[in-house]
Amino acid sequence: MPQPTLMKRAIAELIGTFVLVFLGTGSVVTSVVFFGGVESAGLLLIGLSFGFAVMIMIYAFGHISGTHINPAVSIALWATGRFPSKDLMAYIVAQLIGAVAASLVIVAIVGTRAVDAGLGHTMPGDGVNYWQAILIEAVTTFFLVLVIWGAAVDKRASAGFAGLAIGLVVTADIIVTGPIAGASMNPARTFGPLLTETFWGTTSGWEKFPIYIIGPIVGGLLAAFVYDYVAGLKSGGDES
Amino acid sequence: MQCYVCAQSGVETVAVGVCIVCGMGLCKDHAIREDVELWEGGYPFPSTKAKKKLPRILCAECAEVLT
Repeated sequence: MPQPTLMKRAIAELIGTFVLVFLGTGSVVTSVVFFGGVESAGLLLIGLSFGFAVMIMIYAFGHISGTHINPAVSIALWATGRFPSKDLMAYIVAQLIGAVAASLVIVAIVGTRAVDAGLGHTMPGDGVNYWQAILIEAVTTFFLVLVIWGAAVDKRASAGFAGLAIGLVVTADIIVTGPIAGASMNPARTFGPLLTETFWGTTSGWEKFPIYIIGPIVGGLLAAFVYDYVAGLKSGGDES
Repeated sequence: MQCYVCAQSGVETVAVGVCIVCGMGLCKDHAIREDVELWEGGYPFPSTKAKKKLPRILCAECAEVLT
């Protein structure tokens, strides 16, 4: 495949630098604004936990189902013609069921203390409005899907490293933006705790659920189409 | 090249293949063909079995070890 045009290489550089500065300086902002500069160790562990989970499942089931484990990823693959329409609904339903099942198992193990602690649901932080929450979910999912495309969908990527790269971007997204809106990036990940909480009588989170549908899907779609354009995947990359 | 297995029993036979593992020349009677299945795709797509298989020629000794 010939070298992409200068315009496309420039856009790739712009996005790469944007991600670097956003996550790099953003982690400082988050620590200061939300933690007063300290107490972020827990956020690191949460971010690593999600990142490890994504990574190990990609290596475990990537060759089986494709390990989307995220409706936003399935929809982005479908929208770019890489995933059949007939499979889409089944994947999404399976993802939602898996998420709810996980939350139920947590309650079964920890008891109602887990429900009282919120079951790890995602909510906008203090001072973060609805639209800001949608925006941050879109931005973080943009990063996630961009890395999936660059590290896995694009066959020029180094083989075997996709899981590591994707796990790390999930970790970085959560460390930096977790306090802002929960860093869900995944409608299923938010749906599981939310529905499980409802079983135990807590119904207050549903009005925020559209944040975690709209943001991830919009961000994922945008990333997929931007990467396809920049990398020339859909056009063959032979423009000059 | 001649068949190594036949040569051991004092028979000279022209080799038609080479064991991919040990390099032994093999005649048609002693060459074992074991086709290897290929898988295409992978994350973020399910892997699918390729329609064609990769041909592999082995001698009896290597085939026994590998299977």
